[in-house]
Amino acid sequence: MTYDIVIVGAGGGGMYAALEAIRRNPALKIAVISKVYPTRSHTSAAQGGVNAALANKHKDDTIDLHIFDTIKGSDYLGDQDSITYLCEQAPILIRELENLGAPFSRLEDGSIAQRPFGGASRHRCCYCADKTGHTVLQTLFEQCMRYGIQFFNEYYLLSIEENDGKCQGVIALNLRDSKIHKFEANSVILATGGYAKMYWHKSSNAAGLTGDGGAAALRAGIPLKDMEFVQFHPTGLRKSGLLVTEGARGEGGYLINNKGERFMSKYAPEKMELGPRDLVSRSIEIEIREGLGFESTAGQFIKLDLTHLGAELIMQRLPQIRELCIYFEGVDPILEPIPVRPTAHYSMGGIDVNTSCETNIEGIYAVGEGACVSVHGANRLGGNSLLDILVFGKRAGMEVVERASKSGQPKISDSQVEDQQKYIDGLFGKTHHERYDVIREELGTTLGENAGIYRTKDALTKGVADVYELRERFKKVKVADHSRLFNTNLMQVMELGSMLDLALCVAKGALAREESRGSHSRIDFPTRDDKNWHKHSIFKMTAEGDIAVSDKPVTMGKHELQERTY
Amino acid sequence: MEDRKQITFNVLCFNPEVDEKAYFKSYDVVLEKGITVLRALNYIKDHVDQTLTHRFFCQAGICGSCAIRINGVSKLACTTQVWDELETCKTKDQIIVEPLNNFKVIRDLVVDIDPMIAKLKKYKSWVVPMVKDEDLGKKECDVKPEEFEPINAATDCILCASCYSECTITEADRHYISPLVILRAYRMNMDTRDTAGEERTRLLQEDHGIWDCTHCYRCVEACVKNIPIMEAIQGVRHETFERGMTNTAGARHAKIFLDDVKGGGRLKEATLPLRTLGPIGMIGMIPFALKMGAKGRVPPIFPHKVSTHREVKTLVEQVEKESKKKD
Ligand SMILES: Cc1cc2nc3c(=O)[nH]c(=O)nc-3n(C[C@H](O)[C@H](O)[C@H](O)COP(=O)(O)OP(=O)(O)OC[C@H]3O[C@@H](n4cnc5c(N)ncnc54)[C@H](O)[C@@H]3O)c2cc1C
Ligand code: SF4
Ligand code: SF4
Ligand code: FES
Repeated sequence: MTYDIVIVGAGGGGMYAALEAIRRNPALKIAVISKVYPTRSHTSAAQGGVNAALANKHKDDTIDLHIFDTIKGSDYLGDQDSITYLCEQAPILIRELENLGAPFSRLEDGSIAQRPFGGASRHRCCYCADKTGHTVLQTLFEQCMRYGIQFFNEYYLLSIEENDGKCQGVIALNLRDSKIHKFEANSVILATGGYAKMYWHKSSNAAGLTGDGGAAALRAGIPLKDMEFVQFHPTGLRKSGLLVTEGARGEGGYLINNKGERFMSKYAPEKMELGPRDLVSRSIEIEIREGLGFESTAGQFIKLDLTHLGAELIMQRLPQIRELCIYFEGVDPILEPIPVRPTAHYSMGGIDVNTSCETNIEGIYAVGEGACVSVHGANRLGGNSLLDILVFGKRAGMEVVERASKSGQPKISDSQVEDQQKYIDGLFGKTHHERYDVIREELGTTLGENAGIYRTKDALTKGVADVYELRERFKKVKVADHSRLFNTNLMQVMELGSMLDLALCVAKGALAREESRGSHSRIDFPTRDDKNWHKHSIFKMTAEGDIAVSDKPVTMGKHELQERTY
Repeated sequence: MEDRKQITFNVLCFNPEVDEKAYFKSYDVVLEKGITVLRALNYIKDHVDQTLTHRFFCQAGICGSCAIRINGVSKLACTTQVWDELETCKTKDQIIVEPLNNFKVIRDLVVDIDPMIAKLKKYKSWVVPMVKDEDLGKKECDVKPEEFEPINAATDCILCASCYSECTITEADRHYISPLVILRAYRMNMDTRDTAGEERTRLLQEDHGIWDCTHCYRCVEACVKNIPIMEAIQGVRHETFERGMTNTAGARHAKIFLDDVKGGGRLKEATLPLRTLGPIGMIGMIPFALKMGAKGRVPPIFPHKVSTHREVKTLVEQVEKESKKKD
């Protein structure tokens, strides 16, 4: 089938793009492809909120303050043109979303409520109780239904097709019957979400946040950027890695070590528990390393104490968090502190795009957590990623509508489709014996140990070698289920393939970058080195399937480099 | 230290490619306390049987992918503790796992939820904003916290379809609107920014709509987010009156319902269809009644007076007074 626009991914980023495009030109033929039903995308998991300098709560908040906080938060690796666009558009976007029915919590005067969030100098975070992402996603899905957007649910992206540097569309597998479909289009928007699930059990991410879009991009010759920057959220539940939102600290929760101290006073005396994520994660890691954590069979942890907030406040403002703790940890935060430790949470890196969301291939765009614009640089601020997906989702929607009117007939040849069929058939190889779950588990473990919160040359060298070895073993991975119907075994194996390719980028990038910046902390290079490393990392796949690392300058603006302290 | 135990999962499997009909596969696994049913299923898939087919994504109770029936009840696998289920097993330490009801099975525990999405579309489950398209994003709508409150609970819905699976009427009539779609409609109608209330309500009161619900409360009991769905059902019904849409079988039924409740505190359900539809209309109900009867869901002919009858009566009178005030 031929379309004007194909969007891969139906999270907040993909659906906003679809909505913007159809509203601008209802005659356009748009297909949205997603491996899960739209409302199941991981945007639903965002609890805390979304930033916009509406100045509803703090009247002195401004767009400039938001810009500065974001640049500083990014440890000066964010591109200032993109950050400026992000923050300028924020109030418009939030109002637009509100106008379209998003149920934001309210202040007494009827305006959108705002709360404090890590790394922000004002109360800037708009929210809907602790279900912000969920309600934003539902609202976008509702509006997409209203405008009759055509969804292809439970279709898995196999490849991005180009010819002569021009986009021709994508090829995808229908999970229901394993049939391969081509979606020819001059414009494709990749909105496939993050890749932090590669840390597996030490990750807050959904099972499918495996970086499929990034992996397909690499194979199509599209570079990735800043992949070594993975944010660890300070407060994952001890057993499952699931997240206790920053909202819990925003509402006044304390972090406590085994001496009963609020240890953040040592690391961020002013902001305390509300310091930026990377700082809080590292502080917890140091406490644990110094023997100030609590012991348990599921590993060491520290405590997040909400008990002093009282039952009423917890029930009213943090009901989902309370549920989460009871279901997954067996702890009621009203009665006792929550056992937490850092967990891989957000991927700053992604498909390399500019402020217009363009990749190096004409007609292929990328947005959302799977893209790197870059507005988050070395460290994303809480509440800025929902904003990122909305602002740049809309931007990509605008761009593709412009483009739709002036491009020719796209074409995906039969042999391109056959290549994908061969790839799938190859996965069913009879002599294959490696277990996907073992490789996956080992990948998570080596990344956690060697490319986690604290990194060294030795550990990273081992990490890179491990990933190479796992990629070799993956060539013999066994797909035991040979049914054509809803073959989730096949899908999990393909996802593992994506994770392995992206893990190589993460580990190689981390090994190359001999400095500490934002989420990337090298014990052997403990300070930021602007002279040698104030630049983006770029990752390309070679013809042999290896990953080559290079770099690219950061776009600066009116804010000069400064030390980052909180 | 942690409790460990061998547990049997009896999973209703069906692969239409090869199976003529669904059958139970048994998996014996040793698990430790504190594990969720989803983790157990994933363990089985990874270690025992790679063909076991189920959906999951967030593993955190927010995406709605993993709803299945566990020991006969529709719920989320990822928020259900195995140890809690052991208490409701018919056979000791044997947990029964089945796909959701009221949907076509695609394979094993995976069902086709497209009909549910089609109903969301049919009943216009979206806000039609009062802000004009060209003015979007210019300024916030004024919504007071007390105006937001009524839709707060309804916006918890994660479209997991547990209520859909449990609904008695959806089982009897596949075209029935279903509880979650009523909930959505209510959420949209109550939103002060929406302008499509009239149109939506008109759709709601047509055949297969809100008047077909029998107040069995199964959706309320099933809802994984504890949303008071019945409030939504009553709410949209009330709205049909407010909008003067009284000339449907359902609306007349509701009037009789009111009289009944005032009289006995509980509905004389067995004779209700006769009074609503008249003797001729009743004939149309026969196939439906037979279906319900076959499933053992025919209401008793002589209902008991409910103990809180007085309260019910006062409540009803209160409601009537209130609505008179409005006129
Ligand atoms: C627990 C948690 C809490 C968070 N809290 C906040 C917060 O409070 N504030 C904030 O700003 N941000 C928060 N974030 C981050 C934010 O939610 C995400 O960055 C953002 O939602 C990503 O949106 P997206 O549209 O890029 O991707 P997603 O919503 O992840 O959607 C990705 C889409 O791509 C599709 N897809 C992926 N691979 C394929 C494939 N191979 N084929 C077809 N389709 C595919 C998926 O089906 C899905 O529809 C949080 C994240 C997590 C994990
Ligand atoms: S109360 Fe109504 S909607 Fe709910 S399950 Fe029963 S019949 Fe269905
Ligand atoms: S109403 Fe409750 S049970 Fe029904 S789909 Fe929504 S969340 Fe699930
Ligand atoms: S896996 Fe998302 S709700 Fe259970």
